[in-house]
Amino acid sequence: MNQSDSHAGELARLFDESLSRYQAALAEAKDEPALRVVHARFVGKEGEIRKRLADALKAAPGPEKRAVGQAGNTVLQKAEELFAERLRELHELKRQAELAKKLDVTMPGRPHKLGGLHLLTQVRLELEGIFAELGFQVATGPQVETDFHNFEALAMPKDHPARDMQDTFYLRSAPGQDPLVLRTHTSPVQIRTMLAQKPPVRIISPGKVYRKDDDPTHSPMFQQIEGLCVDEGITMADLKGTLLYFVKRFFGADVGLRLRPSFFPFTEPSAEVDIECIFCKGSGCRTCKGSGYIEILGCGMVDPEVFRHVGYDSERYSGFAFGTGIERMAMLRYGINDLRLFFAGDARFTEQFR
Amino acid sequence: MKVSWNWLCELLDIPSGLTPQTVAARLSVSGVAVDAIHPIGKGLHGAIVAEVRGKRPHPKADKLTLVDVFDGHEVTQVVCGAPNVPSPTEPGKSPRVVWARPGATLPSGLTLSPKEVRGILSPGMLCAEDELGLSEDHAGILILQPSDGIAVGDDFAQAAGLPDWVLELDITPNRPDLLGHIGVAREIAALFRHEGVTWKTSAVDVATLRGSQARTEKPVISLEDPSGCPRYFAHRLSGVTVGPSPLFYRLRLQRLGVRALSNVVDATNLALLLYGHPLHAFDFAKLDGHKIVVRRAHAGEKLQTLDGQERELQPSDLLIADASKGVAVAGVMGGQTSEVSYTTTEVLLECAYFAPASIRPTARRLKLHTEASHRFERGTDPNGLAVVADACAALIVKLAGGYLSSEPTDVYPHKIPTHTLTLRPERTWAILGLQIPAQAQKECLEALGLPVRSEGTNLLVEIPTHRPDLTREIDLIEEVARIYGIHNIPTTLPKLAMTASQPLHQGMTRYRNADRARQLCASLGLLEVMQFSMTSPERVRTGEGKSSPTQPLPIDNPLREELSVLRTKLLPGLVELLRQNLAHGLADVRLFEVGEVFLPSGQQLPTEKTHVAAVLYGHRDHFLKPTSSDALDFYDVKGLVEQLVSGLGLSLLWQKPEQPSASSVYVRVATSTEAPMLHPGAAAALLSGSSGEVIGTFGELHPDLRASLDLHGAAFAFELEVPEQPRHKPGYVPASRFPAVSRDLSFFVHSETEAAKLLGTMQQSGEPLLRGVTLLEDYRQAGHVEAGKKALLFSLTYRSDERTLTDDEVQKAHQRVIDHLGRAFPLQLRQ
Repeated sequence: MNQSDSHAGELARLFDESLSRYQAALAEAKDEPALRVVHARFVGKEGEIRKRLADALKAAPGPEKRAVGQAGNTVLQKAEELFAERLRELHELKRQAELAKKLDVTMPGRPHKLGGLHLLTQVRLELEGIFAELGFQVATGPQVETDFHNFEALAMPKDHPARDMQDTFYLRSAPGQDPLVLRTHTSPVQIRTMLAQKPPVRIISPGKVYRKDDDPTHSPMFQQIEGLCVDEGITMADLKGTLLYFVKRFFGADVGLRLRPSFFPFTEPSAEVDIECIFCKGSGCRTCKGSGYIEILGCGMVDPEVFRHVGYDSERYSGFAFGTGIERMAMLRYGINDLRLFFAGDARFTEQFR
Repeated sequence: MKVSWNWLCELLDIPSGLTPQTVAARLSVSGVAVDAIHPIGKGLHGAIVAEVRGKRPHPKADKLTLVDVFDGHEVTQVVCGAPNVPSPTEPGKSPRVVWARPGATLPSGLTLSPKEVRGILSPGMLCAEDELGLSEDHAGILILQPSDGIAVGDDFAQAAGLPDWVLELDITPNRPDLLGHIGVAREIAALFRHEGVTWKTSAVDVATLRGSQARTEKPVISLEDPSGCPRYFAHRLSGVTVGPSPLFYRLRLQRLGVRALSNVVDATNLALLLYGHPLHAFDFAKLDGHKIVVRRAHAGEKLQTLDGQERELQPSDLLIADASKGVAVAGVMGGQTSEVSYTTTEVLLECAYFAPASIRPTARRLKLHTEASHRFERGTDPNGLAVVADACAALIVKLAGGYLSSEPTDVYPHKIPTHTLTLRPERTWAILGLQIPAQAQKECLEALGLPVRSEGTNLLVEIPTHRPDLTREIDLIEEVARIYGIHNIPTTLPKLAMTASQPLHQGMTRYRNADRARQLCASLGLLEVMQFSMTSPERVRTGEGKSSPTQPLPIDNPLREELSVLRTKLLPGLVELLRQNLAHGLADVRLFEVGEVFLPSGQQLPTEKTHVAAVLYGHRDHFLKPTSSDALDFYDVKGLVEQLVSGLGLSLLWQKPEQPSASSVYVRVATSTEAPMLHPGAAAALLSGSSGEVIGTFGELHPDLRASLDLHGAAFAFELEVPEQPRHKPGYVPASRFPAVSRDLSFFVHSETEAAKLLGTMQQSGEPLLRGVTLLEDYRQAGHVEAGKKALLFSLTYRSDERTLTDDEVQKAHQRVIDHLGRAFPLQLRQ
């Protein structure tokens, strides 16, 4: 054995000894930061193995430096592999520990409660949407109205028997002033719109209206939605088509309708509109009183007298109007039998329709 | 309006295949809605009229009577439980009853058989009205008199005109001609013209009513107000004997909803139900001066009407008077002084035409809605009076005897003519969207009894005076549509001819913002409710505060006190709903409403604003059992308001902007005047950044209000105006590519110093690199923080859009902010 052999042997022994302590330290490290500390202690710039290598290189005579360097690199490579292996092992342990978690997933969740729109708001928005598809713009107006807009301009002069059809709330108005009423229908919006613009007019006006009535099927306040379409060449066939479109979109494609002639002061010809009973499909039940039909709205061709009041030429223009109750639509759709539920503010009612 | 099917069959020949149900269904789809069809006496067979020959108590039951009845052949004993069994008089004049013998069937379906009643065999029963299917009346058995003209042993159903059907018609206000059987028959004849329905002829021969007695003078009529009463027609009848009408007529009236009174009055009512034209019978002897004066009432003139009420009249009321006093409110109700009674022998029969406008105001003012006023105010036929009066006179003579003792008086100074309307067939096409041939249109109108002739392509239609609703071409188009059948109209969609410049309608911004507010509140976990716009004055006071000058708008004719004014705020109602929901057992309640409030404006129409308001009670969303830290507090409601406000496009500033800024708002402490419902120490006001006006308040509910509502825990609320202006739409700002740097700032400051002032001062420091300030801590623990001070910790964010900031730049900027803040507030920086 020559001297260089003994040098090499000594170095190998030193490296082995470091590596085995390094390996033990790695095994001791329980998490990544600790592992990195061990790594730095042995393999880092100032680490033991590097130091021993540097010392060996310094001590080695010129011709042997190369061999020492190679042996050192092998050791360092081995050290890095051990580190990487232990790191993987630690990651896996951590992952396993995390996966060991086991919850009772059947426990109730932490609530993030939904708020909700009133059923009548939902129905109104749906109706507005359906009529928007047909090009009807929403229009609104005041709920406290003048007698002129609510009655006179709609061909219901004072002391006209048709005023008996709507029990009216009056407000105190100054003497000599046009009496003020809580509007009994949304039709004054038609008047305001036509007074403000020329045809074509195509509006839908939803809103609260008031009648002096209070029982399970009549509320002193309820909501109507009314449509008005005025242009050259508008016919009752257009009215029928518009209503049929609405009925099929709202109540279902298989629901048909029929018109029954009726009377409203502001339309002529006038009609009530029935849909085939959605509960018994027309065979007769309690809701439709055996008739197979349910009344849903009133409609007609705008009366020339109304056009006269708003300055439209009734020879040139014709139009149709229709109106229904939003509550009525909701009651039919959802099987609600007491109108007063809508305005009772009971969260247990409102919550059902979130 | 009730209509008897049998009566219609007296007027029309109706083929047997057409049932009341078929006819009702067709009427309903042709403009005459039939609300109900009631069978009368249906299924009644074999009940006969029998005379009471004797009665005695049942030996074993106090409430039962043994009645001997005579059926024309023999006397039979029947057991009867009714309390009103009549006592017999002499045979032939004794009261009569309806006896359902064994084998007879009743409308209920019961077939009678001999039955033992408390030990005594009863062959059938004596019937009450309900058992006969006549009415709901079960107070006693039906009693007939010999004067009813029904022979002993006769089949009762046949004699009483049974079975019958009563059709309940919903007559629209434009069709007064349908308020009588003849009018309804006219409509049926038109609708079923192709199915063999034809008119029966029946004319009254007045001559036969005159009798042979000496002629007297015609009734003297002084018509002083021909505009209110264009025509007055009167018959004079003498020698009448007033008494009850025969059963047949009494039952007919009863099933049509009219009370039978006496033969003369019943005759006027029957004529009314037949022709739809009201008549009135006066006791001629009681008319002072034997004359009628038609005039306006004197101011304060009084009249006792038939219902026993004293009516005070005014000069706008049309009055029927005699030489000295009023005897009837014209067209509304007769007076008591000249009422027909059992002593009356001479009758003045009024059949007048009153102008609608002269009747309705009086009827409304007196709140007297009668069969007469209902018809006159809708319009009767001025040219049909003689026919109606003759028919009524004939009926009086038939039921009460007597004769026409003079020529009638007919005062009709200006005859109301029929008029002619032109119908352009192509106009019908344009309105209906259906090309009904001109000939078919003509045929529809003729079916209604309107004479039509052609002139060129047009139709000239003569309008009889019984159709006051037909005044314009469009009215004829409606008639054509009805009779031709509107089910024949096709379905099309209107062609879309909207111009691109169609404006957004007035008020729509507020409307859209209101819906936006609804969506936001729902997203924030609140449930929407809807309340009446009407409320009580007391609730308005709760919402406005005792010292507020705001007066709600009163309703003149409210349903009740609780709904007598229009609301000025939503919150007073919402807190009541909160109370109710808690009473239902709910623990956590969060309700909101978006709705209109009404305020006096000084203009013609009041101001209507849309408010959004909410009440909150209980806990935040919590997991399993709520803990004390889950309880809602002031900062929950504030947080909701902040989210809502920013969702509505308003930017929330920490303090009043130096320059008015639209679409911005800021918060300050609310005064108790501004927020009377809120706790004075936890009430905030939201102010407009442009006008500085309070647009809302929020905070904790006032403890006093809470106590009055019986709420145990704290409740929170807000109410804001929904903005009227379009929502601010900010332009897009790209996110910075350069990193932001945060620096903490911690200091002691006077505990009364408002956080918003500090935040606002920092934000408005003018430091261009400062991009955000967040409050992280408010710390006041005794021992750590000097009394009267608080320690605040803020995090300030710095960033440039042009480069990555150096530590030095950030430090300098931070120092500039600290210096700026330090100049405004005495700070004691913490290390």
